[in-house]
Amino acid sequence: MNIKRISLFSLAVAGSLFLASCGNSSNTENHNDMSHEHHEGMEHDHGSHQHSESNERSVSSNSGELKGDLTSIMSSYFSLNESLVKDNASSAAKSSENLVGALKKFKGTGLTVEANKEVSEILESAIENAEHIASNSDDIDHQREHLVSLSTDIKDLIGIIGTKQKLYEDYCPMANNNEGAIWISNKEEISNPYMGSSMPKCGKVNRVIE
Amino acid sequence: MKKTLKWFFIVGLITLVGIQFIPADVNKQEVISSSDIRNVYDVPDNVMNILENSCYDCHSNNTNYPWYSLVQPIRLIMDHHIEEGKGELNFSEFANYSERRKRNKMRAISEQIEKSKMPLPSYLWLHSDAIITPSQKDSIVAFINDQKN
Repeated sequence: MNIKRISLFSLAVAGSLFLASCGNSSNTENHNDMSHEHHEGMEHDHGSHQHSESNERSVSSNSGELKGDLTSIMSSYFSLNESLVKDNASSAAKSSENLVGALKKFKGTGLTVEANKEVSEILESAIENAEHIASNSDDIDHQREHLVSLSTDIKDLIGIIGTKQKLYEDYCPMANNNEGAIWISNKEEISNPYMGSSMPKCGKVNRVIE
Repeated sequence: MKKTLKWFFIVGLITLVGIQFIPADVNKQEVISSSDIRNVYDVPDNVMNILENSCYDCHSNNTNYPWYSLVQPIRLIMDHHIEEGKGELNFSEFANYSERRKRNKMRAISEQIEKSKMPLPSYLWLHSDAIITPSQKDSIVAFINDQKN
């Protein structure tokens, strides 16, 4: 009887050790995902070419030259929002993984020391938010909580870097536990990532960024 | 059958004794760090007490270790939790966060506490004194809202 009990205990010990190692392995998985994202960052370099050509025509939010290429960041951010509009947490997590990769690859150009510091703080915060969204594929509410500050980060980043794309800053007073929250969209019509299919049209355009 | 059971028992025992020698991390700075949250905001005493009592074990550089933390594999699991907890939020390093991150963290604390996601249920299971009562929740949330203005 006693032997049985002790063996059970050692089984439990072995089990908990196994669990601890599981935690580690999921970490390494994340790592792999990140290195995978590097490939996408390549497109980003490519994109900066187009920029230098279209610079003169673009009227950007920072009313001057573009200070970097946000194309890959924005496209992952938009697909993240689209997934959340559809209440699809697992596809939101995937887009957010891409977003983490794009944010890590981003480099601003011709920034003042002060703006450069601001940009790295924004990136640090955005990466943290995006990582949380990526790792919470089973908790859409938590993903949306992080979208609140992520969207502020993206908005501020656009404010410094500028964009050649016409963008919309949308606002929903009911999001974020009725405290209200903004998000950035590339379409004039409202599709709300915070409320999802329950109220996809809730919100208004706060500001046009161009 | 009896023989296998005996071997199972012996191997189990050896493993159990063996893992006691795995070195443990010690998360103890003894002093209140100069970058502690209390040096960033004017934190009311009652709020500071709640934070220290319910959050600081995993979210600061000072863990108050219980006796069973001396036993492996409990300590391994604990070390892992503390490492993760500090990675998310470290009250001892709060002053080192950028203004943007401070804002994010304060918002997240308020949300996690209001929704009773923190402290973790597994932690409260062994630390019933760390349970945050509804009125304590209100004081934390009120303190955080004060900082927004």
